[in-house]
Amino acid sequence: MEHPWIFISILIILSILLFFCLIRAIKGPAIADRVVAVNMMGTIVMVIIAMLAVYMGEGYLLDICLIYAMISFLAVVVLTKVYSGVYLEKIATEKKRRQKEALSGKPEKTEEGGGRA
Amino acid sequence: MIVVEWLQFIIGIGFLLTGLGVFVVQVFGVFKFDYVLNRMHAAAMGDTLGIGVSLVGLIILSGWNFTSLKMALIIVFLWNASPVSSHLIARLEAITNPRLERHCEVKEGVTEHVWDENQKEIIRTQKAEEEE
Repeated sequence: MEHPWIFISILIILSILLFFCLIRAIKGPAIADRVVAVNMMGTIVMVIIAMLAVYMGEGYLLDICLIYAMISFLAVVVLTKVYSGVYLEKIATEKKRRQKEALSGKPEKTEEGGGRA
Repeated sequence: MIVVEWLQFIIGIGFLLTGLGVFVVQVFGVFKFDYVLNRMHAAAMGDTLGIGVSLVGLIILSGWNFTSLKMALIIVFLWNASPVSSHLIARLEAITNPRLERHCEVKEGVTEHVWDENQKEIIRTQKAEEEE
């Protein structure tokens, strides 16, 4: 590489963008905001790893980049499935409790079904 | 020969800077919009266009070898994985947000299936919750 300062400056700007993505992940009001921000961070880290692989001339870093892409995709899938599953389970427990109350005629004081998820 | 090298360098750096600009626009858009389904529009742009242009620039810089083949594989994988993850995130938002109608128009609602311990199915839609 005859001009290393270009790579260094692009890497510095990308790391600043990564910091802003982290701020978005902390601030995000909904869960989906945080998942989107984590996905963005994964993309920017992939670009950083690929640039380092070309800059250092080490081809094996691209394997790490590919594995990072796969694990980032897997993390998004697992997080969305877990969060929607927890929410639906909470709704189903609530519904079942309400049905039981309607069946017995009077509201029961005892918490049933293991409580809230 | 030196002309080809300089051309390769300039085109590669140009693609790389374009990708950097797309990333800057992505982060700016994520801070500008104020709802998740709008923010995903900006975030998906960096997932496909940003990393695609950046890795094309790196392929041009690195030349014709096995490294560039791996980078092309990463681009192809991300083009397949990014729409799937966007779909899953939008589905998560549509399921867990009880006041989705305030932000966007919902015709049918989102159907999700939950089974209790007796394998009896409890189907819940956005519309069914509205009627209750």
